[in-house]
Amino acid sequence: MNAAAFYFVNGMESEASAIARGLRRRDPDLLDRLIEQYQHRLLRYLVYMTANRDLAEDLFQETWIRVLERGHQYDGKHEFSTWLYAVARNLTIDYLRKKSPASLDGLLAEEDHAPLEPADTRPSALDMVAQREHAERISTALVSIPAEYRETVVLRFQEGLALEEIAAVTGAPLGTVKSRLYRGLNLLMPLLKGAQG
Amino acid sequence: MTSGLHDRARQMIALGSVDALAAAEQTWLHAHLQDCDACRDYAETTGQVIRSLRSVPLAASPRLVRATQMRVRFHASRLRETRQRMWLVATSCLGVGISAALTAPLLWRAFALIGEWAGLSRPIWEAGFVFFFIAPALVVSVLLLARGTHLTNHGVRSQQW
Repeated sequence: MNAAAFYFVNGMESEASAIARGLRRRDPDLLDRLIEQYQHRLLRYLVYMTANRDLAEDLFQETWIRVLERGHQYDGKHEFSTWLYAVARNLTIDYLRKKSPASLDGLLAEEDHAPLEPADTRPSALDMVAQREHAERISTALVSIPAEYRETVVLRFQEGLALEEIAAVTGAPLGTVKSRLYRGLNLLMPLLKGAQG
Repeated sequence: MTSGLHDRARQMIALGSVDALAAAEQTWLHAHLQDCDACRDYAETTGQVIRSLRSVPLAASPRLVRATQMRVRFHASRLRETRQRMWLVATSCLGVGISAALTAPLLWRAFALIGEWAGLSRPIWEAGFVFFFIAPALVVSVLLLARGTHLTNHGVRSQQW
């Protein structure tokens, strides 16, 4: 391992173990920092998981409460984001099971909502309209594919997780993750061809 | 070229980026894409779809972040209080257990002597000993239960806002 890689890996490990130590202490300052750091990524994941912004915001709060309560379970050996997504995923599935007993496929029942709201960024009126249309097109396309494919596609291409990390979050074998990604993309292709923002 | 080769190439493309592929696979894919127009188109479309997915501006609002931070802090303080209470209860139980174990033989002896001196029958002073021994625990239990009920009501009220 070269020096740069060594320092990178060690730096990542020490950050993860610092997070693990802070979570064991239930350090509120650390939690504040983590909430800010992962706000957009976590919310985006939840919005695409549930296809419902309000529900995603509720689950966002519940996820951080769960992180506070079960922070001692994070071992600091893996990326914190992987563990965070797994917590959020379990909460979402629990919520949907309570609502209607089903697996992740049950998320499909939630998808009768209007397309998701894009973020409130305001460069100009025209840009806003274009951005909004673009975001709506993408969210409509994402919502129209099966939930397990959508989740894999979102984790890979929006959240930038490695395939092994997606396997850890979803609890699916690596081969299944690869095939979900392939199928998910194939389903999205006709819907998103030429939709670059 | 067989369809199996195209499928293989497309699956590699769909993995999203070259970091997911081994060096030999990257070389093979690169060579395949140079010869195959259909797979090159597929790669371009895939790239386009991935760029679209990455370009969605979906952000959490500052209000949500602040509300979450406040909720987490409030919940953390409640957990801390509960933990402190549990410590207190555990320490008290330990103290009571130790003092009971140490004083029981002495108290038994004292009741036997008083019973003998007062001319009481054995079952009577034994019943007196049992009552005297468990009475403080009973009183404390009743008090704790009452206080527990008060705290529960207080907790429910504080949760409502």
